[in-house]
Amino acid sequence: MDLTFTDEQQALRESLARYLDRTYTFDQRQKLLQSDSPWSADVWRHFAELDLTALPFGEDAGGIGGTAADLVAVGEVLGEYLCVEPYVGTVLLAGRALATATGAAGDRARELLTGIIAGDTHVAFAHEEGRGTPAAAQVALDAVDAADGVRLTGSKGLVIGAAQASAYVVTARVAGVPGSGEGVALVLVEADAPGLSLRNYRTVDGRAAASVEFRDTPGRVLADNATGLVGEIAGTGILGLAAEAVGAMGVLLKITVEYGSTRQQFGVPIGTFQALAHRMANMKMAYLQARATLLYTTALVEAGTAGPTEIAVLKAQVGRLGRTLAESAVQVHGGIGTTDELPVGHYLKRILAVEAMFGDSEHHLRTVGATAGVVAS
Amino acid sequence: MNLDQNPELEAFRAQVAEFLDTAPTDAIREAGRRTTSAFAPFDQTMEWQRILNDKGWAAPGWPVEYGGTGWSIEQRYVFSEEYARRDLPPLLPNGLKMIGPLIIDKGSEEQKKRYLPGILSGEDYWTQGYSEPGSGSDLASLRCAAVRDGDDYVINGSKIWTTLAHRANRMFMLVRTSTEGRKQAGISFLLLDRTDYPGMEIRPIVNLAGEEEQCEVFFENVRVPQSSRVGEENDGWAISKHLLTYERGANVTAPQMWRRVQRIREAAQAAPSPYGGSLADDPVFQRDLGELAADVASLEHVEKLALSGHPFTRDIAMPSMNKILGTELTQRLTVMMTRIAGVAALPRQLEAMEVGAAAEPLGSEFELTAMPWYLNSRATTIYAGTNEVQRDLIARTLGRR
Repeated sequence: MDLTFTDEQQALRESLARYLDRTYTFDQRQKLLQSDSPWSADVWRHFAELDLTALPFGEDAGGIGGTAADLVAVGEVLGEYLCVEPYVGTVLLAGRALATATGAAGDRARELLTGIIAGDTHVAFAHEEGRGTPAAAQVALDAVDAADGVRLTGSKGLVIGAAQASAYVVTARVAGVPGSGEGVALVLVEADAPGLSLRNYRTVDGRAAASVEFRDTPGRVLADNATGLVGEIAGTGILGLAAEAVGAMGVLLKITVEYGSTRQQFGVPIGTFQALAHRMANMKMAYLQARATLLYTTALVEAGTAGPTEIAVLKAQVGRLGRTLAESAVQVHGGIGTTDELPVGHYLKRILAVEAMFGDSEHHLRTVGATAGVVAS
Repeated sequence: MNLDQNPELEAFRAQVAEFLDTAPTDAIREAGRRTTSAFAPFDQTMEWQRILNDKGWAAPGWPVEYGGTGWSIEQRYVFSEEYARRDLPPLLPNGLKMIGPLIIDKGSEEQKKRYLPGILSGEDYWTQGYSEPGSGSDLASLRCAAVRDGDDYVINGSKIWTTLAHRANRMFMLVRTSTEGRKQAGISFLLLDRTDYPGMEIRPIVNLAGEEEQCEVFFENVRVPQSSRVGEENDGWAISKHLLTYERGANVTAPQMWRRVQRIREAAQAAPSPYGGSLADDPVFQRDLGELAADVASLEHVEKLALSGHPFTRDIAMPSMNKILGTELTQRLTVMMTRIAGVAALPRQLEAMEVGAAAEPLGSEFELTAMPWYLNSRATTIYAGTNEVQRDLIARTLGRR
């Protein structure tokens, strides 16, 4: 195992970046966000052609058996271009859940996964119940047994790609009370199921999402006793989101440094003022720490030695350091940095969105601190 | 750097652990627990260096031909981890991490032969004469002058923040040999064979913790041979900058910081929360310790990437970034230590701090050392180039990678 990207990963990154350079400029992205399209169907098709939609899945499922480092190699680039396509939602979260399905809905799960890999199908992951729902044991959405599976009642927030999904993978409670590690299941709900209502919106960072209401909605169990599995799926999602945030941080550092060396006030480039120079030095150190932690954690995941604490460190650091860096980027840009017409604020919003998902930095810091310094016996 | 589990590496770890469990004396162990700055108690630490050198382990980072171990980066990291785990005193850095590597890179064959064995064995201790009362951050403005006289230089002026000069028998220093042209172009680098030349006076300075660690050194017509110079005359600034890369960078510091996090938790388990129960169970404490631990983790990741030669850390600003990250985290850890010790950190216990002291400390060892750690760590963001100067250096290289 190595901490550097392989030649293949490097080639994939370059190929993806070359394509996005042509198709995903800031102006093209702005037009996309002003249109009725949730994301670019062309870009998604290209993702499938590059095998990105097949990346994390085993060859027996029709995938290409990619590694954690492959996902991070791609994720950073998606963050650099602020892609709004639901890569994390459809491929890393819902796709991963479908790939592990063993229950009654196994055939349907495989069919959906085949569609995802081909780039034809979207499936949404419905998990959020407030403040990122970082602990699967806290899932409360009610599932009761029914003749043909379960029936769900309750609501989920921030379901990315909900309106476009053929189906939903929903975390739900079939037994026990919130807080209990027992009784959490992954449930497959078809998009045309009765008792399902959506309230669609776009997130501040441009993703198409919805609040979803379930009222006695039928579903089939994909996996029982799924607290650990949901944690693993969320861990993969966190790795993908962290890669996006770090990709965004790298671009923000670069464009802020450029701006500081060209923007003149008082007859000199503003980057020559020590207060701003030090702010940018701090930005660079924040990027150094966040990316080092991303690359290192990726290697741990690949080696199978990343536990919940390591994932919590990654999530906390990317959130904290990302916020520091991005808020400084806006400050160095001054007034123009507060407008919609410059990319700076859009990168800030992507980083803030990543911070809020799957538990904010404060949550993860406390998780880290609860066990930090405990001496292994 | 390979992170996979590896039986050979684990066998090496066991070998290191066995030696570190058996070789140090009780006094050396106590000195490690009484260390409250980058400079561990002098006598026991030098004794420990002699023991390590007999084993061949005093300078793992040196090239093998000069007495290094030839360990892989993974082995060096394992050694640092096992070392930190046992609270052993870190070897004093001036010889092994600063002037030694500099002589290896820039010294003459004669200088290597003459000085490296004593640096390695601990027979010689070197103090650093850089700063002057009027030249701190603006080091190149230094005025302590060396004037040619026959085969000698005659030195006049003074140096300050010469760490442990009163315990050193040798000194490396920067002197002004020319006032022509740029201030950086008139500086030379000298190696002094003695610290008791006629005309040389050393006065210790009492620091915030009440200890004598730093000194001021005065030179009045001190005569040293010109052969003591490293490199060419007036080329000392470039040489000193080369040394600064050792002083600031490429260290393995995360294992010691992880050990600090452990000791903080142990102390918090014993400390009562004002809300009842143990402080270790207090959510605010956990969140704050989590922030420190997450930053220690990131520093570990940066250090491991740098040790591996990862392209991301091949950056001209790495020494400055390492210096800032390491020192500011050290300060935050010591703030946490004093927070946990609370009022128990307030008694001034200079006698009990001494290794082998007759005086019984009030409270625990953690409480005894928390305040000295905190106070001594204030200097970390000032020495070796203030962190403000380091941020200037980082900013100056921002456009290029």
